[in-house]
Amino acid sequence: MPADAKHLAARRELAQGISAVERPGPAANQRIQEALAASTADARNALVVGLTGAPGAGKSSLAAALADVARAGGRRVAILAIDPSSHESGGALLGDRVRIDEHPDDDGRFTRSIATRGSGRSLAHVAAAATILVEAAGFDLIFVETVGAGQAEIGIARLADVLLVVEGPEGGDEVQAMKAGILEVADIVAVNKSDRPGAQAAFDRLRSGLALGAGAPELALVSATAGAGISELLATIDDVGAGRGVRGRIRRVEAHLVAAAESHVDAQVREARASGALTTRAEQIVAGTQSLTGSLTALFGISETPDA
Amino acid sequence: MAERTTPIRVLIAKPGLDGHDRGAKVLARGLRDEGFEVIYTGLRRTLDAIVAAAIEEDVDVVGCSILSGAHATLLPKLAASLRASGATDVLVVAGGIIPEADRPELEQAGISGIFGPGTTIAEVATFLRANARRR
Ligand code: B12
Ligand SMILES: Nc1nc2c(ncn2[C@@H]2O[C@H](COP(=O)(O)OP(=O)(O)O)[C@@H](O)[C@H]2O)c(=O)[nH]1
Ligand SMILES: [Mg+2]
Repeated sequence: MPADAKHLAARRELAQGISAVERPGPAANQRIQEALAASTADARNALVVGLTGAPGAGKSSLAAALADVARAGGRRVAILAIDPSSHESGGALLGDRVRIDEHPDDDGRFTRSIATRGSGRSLAHVAAAATILVEAAGFDLIFVETVGAGQAEIGIARLADVLLVVEGPEGGDEVQAMKAGILEVADIVAVNKSDRPGAQAAFDRLRSGLALGAGAPELALVSATAGAGISELLATIDDVGAGRGVRGRIRRVEAHLVAAAESHVDAQVREARASGALTTRAEQIVAGTQSLTGSLTALFGISETPDA
Repeated sequence: MAERTTPIRVLIAKPGLDGHDRGAKVLARGLRDEGFEVIYTGLRRTLDAIVAAAIEEDVDVVGCSILSGAHATLLPKLAASLRASGATDVLVVAGGIIPEADRPELEQAGISGIFGPGTTIAEVATFLRANARRR
């Protein structure tokens, strides 16, 4: 039986909208504003849940498992899976759908793979805009998956209402040693793969390590593939996310404004490199024939005001 | 025609029960290295699932890898479903074990390119760049 054309029309419109806002500019901004107006008119209030953690920790599997539980409860659920673009080719291999079951006949689900493209910061520039469009399309719960790497974590922490850090059974020790930064912004840390040996021990290590600090994240021990602890984790997510009201949407707009500014600068940097202007200027500065301040203006239109 | 400002998006799909995924993976990685955004669905997807994924991902190309011999039934259905769901400007290509004799009928059904064993990534990339929709 061929997929029903009318059935897919709403999803196609949303999908094309996301593609459109992947090209930054006035048209994208107009579309985002329309989406915001629609969400406000409909009194929408989507919960945006960020998932971050090392590759292979089980972020996609866990997003899919949480989505299943939420969908069974009648909520409309979307997953946005962000993966890095190759710096060399500009291409990307987006494989998260492998872990996410397809539901071709269910308009209450939507999955989109997003490449970071020009974002030097590894959370895609389009991430905030995409969540705004998805919310306007009537999705109540939006999972945003991103590989945990440096700056991306801060980006996703700013964008999401609830930030979930996913750890494999090997985690726990290195969490505290290496990831102090992420634990400051995490709302929940989930140790995944509880069906595997070592997961309980990792969870215990994490709990004893985190018990010390005030404002420590919630902890969960789950198995995405065996379905253990998923309903409980969703309940924790809802608790943490409760009562944020319109603030969530305001934060998404903040994130978009920052992303648009970054995108602009990133494009200028790329252009300055590609044209050779960056190197030329640097040579001139070293030779003493150009100033740093003047070069910032010439290359990027930045005019620094002198310190008072 | 205007130069594209964004990478070409390609869905690499494995329909049906065919478990041969080496070619699909080689292609997915190779096209990534050629600058494409490749969405890989994994094994054993139904045609409806592939159509829905193509719509949600707003891809420019759907590429099916079939080594099971089921191409003659699967590919025309897939092309028809895609058209029926409004994806009229999406390029549909296929690869794997597809005998020469079956190709004219598949081309008739809207499969624009068919690539067998020994195909290089560069050949596929060149074909997709020349034939994928512009935007
Ligand atoms: C390796 C292999 C296997 C491996 C697969 C491992 C894996 N994970 O992929 C194993 C051992 C598991 C296997 C099992 C079987 N196999 Co086998 N297998 C092969 C073999 C020897 C090579 C396939 C391969 O990996 N080639 C390397 C890759 C890189 O090449 P490729 O897939 O052709 O892809 C290239 C192009 O075709 C093209 N391409 C491919 N897909 C796409 C998609 C797009 C969009 C584009 C643009 C291009 C493109 O680009 C790629 C790069 O050049 C072939 C014979 C052959 N010479 O092809 C038989 C073959 C495919 N197998 C065959 C059979 C019958 C089977 C089994 C049914 C055997 C059995 N009785 O158990 C099982 C079925 C398994 C299953 N669940 O489906 C038959 C199929 C017959 C047919 N279609 O009429 C073949 C042709 C052997 C034969 N001559 O009989 N097999
Ligand atoms: N045993 C076990 N494996 C899991 C679990 N969750 C995910 N996996 C596996 O871990 C691998 C990576 O999962 P994936 O969701 O792609 O991780 P991601 O890279 O963080 O998105 C896959 O092989 C999954 O099947 C789990 O709860 N238990
Ligand atoms: Mg993933």
